[in-house]
Amino acid sequence: MAALVLPAGILVALLLVAPMVLLFRISLNEFSPTQMMVEATTAANYLRAVGDPYYRSVLLTTLAVALGSTLLALTLGFPAAYWLARMQSRWKSLATIVVLFPLLVGNVVRAAGWLALLGNGGAINATLLGIGVIAAPLPLIYNTGAVVAGIVAVVLPYMVLTLAAVIEGIPRQVEEAASNMGAKPFTVFRRVVLPLALPGVAAGSVLVFVLCMNTYATAVLLGGPRFKMMAPAVYDQFVRGNNWPFGAALAFILLTITLVLTVFGSAALGRRYRRRLAEETT
Amino acid sequence: MSITRRATLAGAAFAAAAAGLPGLGRAQGRQVVVGTWGGDYGELLRQNIDLPLVQPQGIEVLQDVAVADPRKAKMLAERQARRGSLDVSCLSDTDMHMMNQQSTLDTINFGRLSRAGAIVPTLRKPYAIPHIYSTLVLLYNPDKVTTPPTGYADMLDPKYRGRIGFSDILYSTNTFAAAMAGGGTFSDYSPARRTLMELRSLDAKIYPSNEALATALKGEEVWMTPMWLARGYMWQKAGIPLRHVVPKEGVYAILFEAAIPRNARNKDNAYAYLDAMLKPEAQIAFADRMGYLPTVTDARLPAEIAGAISLSEADQARLRSPDYDYLLRSHAEILDFWNKQFKG
Repeated sequence: MAALVLPAGILVALLLVAPMVLLFRISLNEFSPTQMMVEATTAANYLRAVGDPYYRSVLLTTLAVALGSTLLALTLGFPAAYWLARMQSRWKSLATIVVLFPLLVGNVVRAAGWLALLGNGGAINATLLGIGVIAAPLPLIYNTGAVVAGIVAVVLPYMVLTLAAVIEGIPRQVEEAASNMGAKPFTVFRRVVLPLALPGVAAGSVLVFVLCMNTYATAVLLGGPRFKMMAPAVYDQFVRGNNWPFGAALAFILLTITLVLTVFGSAALGRRYRRRLAEETT
Repeated sequence: MSITRRATLAGAAFAAAAAGLPGLGRAQGRQVVVGTWGGDYGELLRQNIDLPLVQPQGIEVLQDVAVADPRKAKMLAERQARRGSLDVSCLSDTDMHMMNQQSTLDTINFGRLSRAGAIVPTLRKPYAIPHIYSTLVLLYNPDKVTTPPTGYADMLDPKYRGRIGFSDILYSTNTFAAAMAGGGTFSDYSPARRTLMELRSLDAKIYPSNEALATALKGEEVWMTPMWLARGYMWQKAGIPLRHVVPKEGVYAILFEAAIPRNARNKDNAYAYLDAMLKPEAQIAFADRMGYLPTVTDARLPAEIAGAISLSEADQARLRSPDYDYLLRSHAEILDFWNKQFKG
């Protein structure tokens, strides 16, 4: 049976692990403006990234945007996922496709659409200016709110579908039993549905958080030149600055922080779920 | 003797490889892969060089389209490879110098170019042919800026608070403009540290692309910007209310070049392509549509176009290429300051 993993394993090893090893080696090199890179074994790039207040603030912005977007996606996605999971009509397949619909459009195309809608000369501002409600265009893009809204629109389907799959596995009778015993709908949600859906919450949140941490196109197009997240900062160092060692160090810092937070986050939720399960069964 | 399924498959694979490889060789022999910008530049190459001049020679042109930075990164990533993916690389002079310093380019054998004698001598480099050129000017909206500016220092006038716009991708030339406004030179951008922060406090706007800046100029959100004269010419043709002034502090030339990577697979075809780029009719097409000046002596521009995109004799005499070595050494620092201090 283990052999079944082999094709995927080889592909991952070739296309992910090998480049990562190479990238890690590059992150230990020194940058030279004239030679681009000088072979070395130094932690200077990591120390610079951690010590520089600019990159610390870029990292904090990235974390704040990723956490905020994940929480928002969870808050908005849970009711939709619940509705989808409990749906029994013949339109369920269609509803699932509708949830998936945003994924049919590429990130860049979607962000371009948002620009056409929210830009200074975009549809909303043009309409409001046209009917005389405002005198000057509202700053609807190039700010954190626009980036978070753009990211949530991208990641919501992942959250909804992951949660719906888990909620579908929760027997409806459990909720009915709670209601019969006098629990109000919110209590049923808080004491029954949410605890049982915790594995889905963990899986959806981890998936969405990882996607948010690595946001590139949405951050660049909707955040504008002054808004900085880690992925555009990595790109800046690699492609504009030709500073591959520093870019590689930034990439590894992003990877490590994402990995640590997701592992700890899902472990914490998993512990809570198991504890609750143990309490229920004793 | 029994023929196993495995042997059959192996035989079939060998036969396919034997049949396919010579075809692959022939196909590459007739191809030239050109790394270029998309948009107008790529389209003009296609319409005026690829189709009318190179294809009739039996050479198929494939464009590898991207903005400059990813193409530079690709050339650097491939520099150790025996066979690269590009046969011709089109870049700005500053980028091309950087690529040459990183040993990615061949030395051009000008004897193989029939048009070599027509090249403006001062624009020629050992590692690249000049394709088109323009100059950095100050574009302004004449309806809003009623007293025409004379130099980059006018950007610092408080009466233009919030009305100076910059394109983020032109961070290097924007820094040059700011440096000159503060008394800098082609080899010393350090005064830009002060003037860029002054511009920041005057609420200068930054746009993610030239196109976004054009929209802001059209909507009169900003009134003034340092920009290529050629770009200004295109925008004026598109109906954006703009005039230009050649700044008194210095005349900075932008030259777009083409070169052959050291590991190009089809060098003969690459030489044929470079030769075609230097043909007068191709050069005139770029002047007409994009406002860039020809780099060959025998391309005669119509008087109307020449008047709009040429420099006066006095300005032409002041025209200077950037200090490539200074930019190579300071590039990371310029980008860092732009990102962390000015934009941060």
